[in-house]
Amino acid sequence: MMKHAVRIVQSRILQRLRLGVQLDTDVNASVVVPATRWCSKRMYSEEAHASSTHLDRGNVVARVLNAVKTHQKVDPTKVTESASFQELGLDSLDTVELVMAIEEEFAVEIPDAEADKISSCSQAIEYIAAHPCAK
Amino acid sequence: MAGLIKNLRVTKTGSSSRTLEEAHRRSMDLFREACRALPDIMDRYNLQEVTTLSELRSKIAAEFRKHSKVTNLKVVDMLVFKGQEELQYCIDHSKQRHHLLGQYIIGKEGLAGDIHKLGETDHGESEFLKSFYRGNS
Repeated sequence: MMKHAVRIVQSRILQRLRLGVQLDTDVNASVVVPATRWCSKRMYSEEAHASSTHLDRGNVVARVLNAVKTHQKVDPTKVTESASFQELGLDSLDTVELVMAIEEEFAVEIPDAEADKISSCSQAIEYIAAHPCAK
Repeated sequence: MAGLIKNLRVTKTGSSSRTLEEAHRRSMDLFREACRALPDIMDRYNLQEVTTLSELRSKIAAEFRKHSKVTNLKVVDMLVFKGQEELQYCIDHSKQRHHLLGQYIIGKEGLAGDIHKLGETDHGESEFLKSFYRGNS
């Protein structure tokens, strides 16, 4: 909501802001004022507005382990940060299902090549922590 | 005018895998595609009251697991193709809500098994007769 409000204010200001243009009749004068004086930080994309788009690591760990624990076949007491999915008694189909559950939890889409590499909790945590769009 | 709204997904022609690993990869790709389509399917058929996303995902995984012992490559390819066809029907709204409820959410155990649990009196039949009535599936 804040970002939306900031955008509205920004667009209103830009609509009303008028830059003074000085016609440089003297061709020899060579001082050019760059327009970037007005924008010290480029606000072109969503990512520029957030100071850091990566999630806090503790948050990522908690949510990934929760997603693993709520899987039907997993014994919640055995789930630790360093457990591999095979140790938890999951076969390849269960692994893919778990990765999809994590995708849904963090609202990201993991490409197939990366998803095949995830076979333990720590790998999943590393991937999500390094993903800039994870929510 | 539903025909003018084209879904982006179409079922492609049958594939031919050369190794078991390739066939396994195809089936996992199908599973991922199905899981990604599940939120749309839940919205389309209003399944939010009946089941949750993770339960539906587990049911789909159980469907895949039924065929986990198959090793014949052509059979695997055929099963993947049928799965893609099924997914296409669900996305296109060619199926109806009661189809999904019966096939996936309640499933065979719910439909046939419950009749036995719902207080049908035991007439002293033998186990043979009971399993005869229950059927082969």
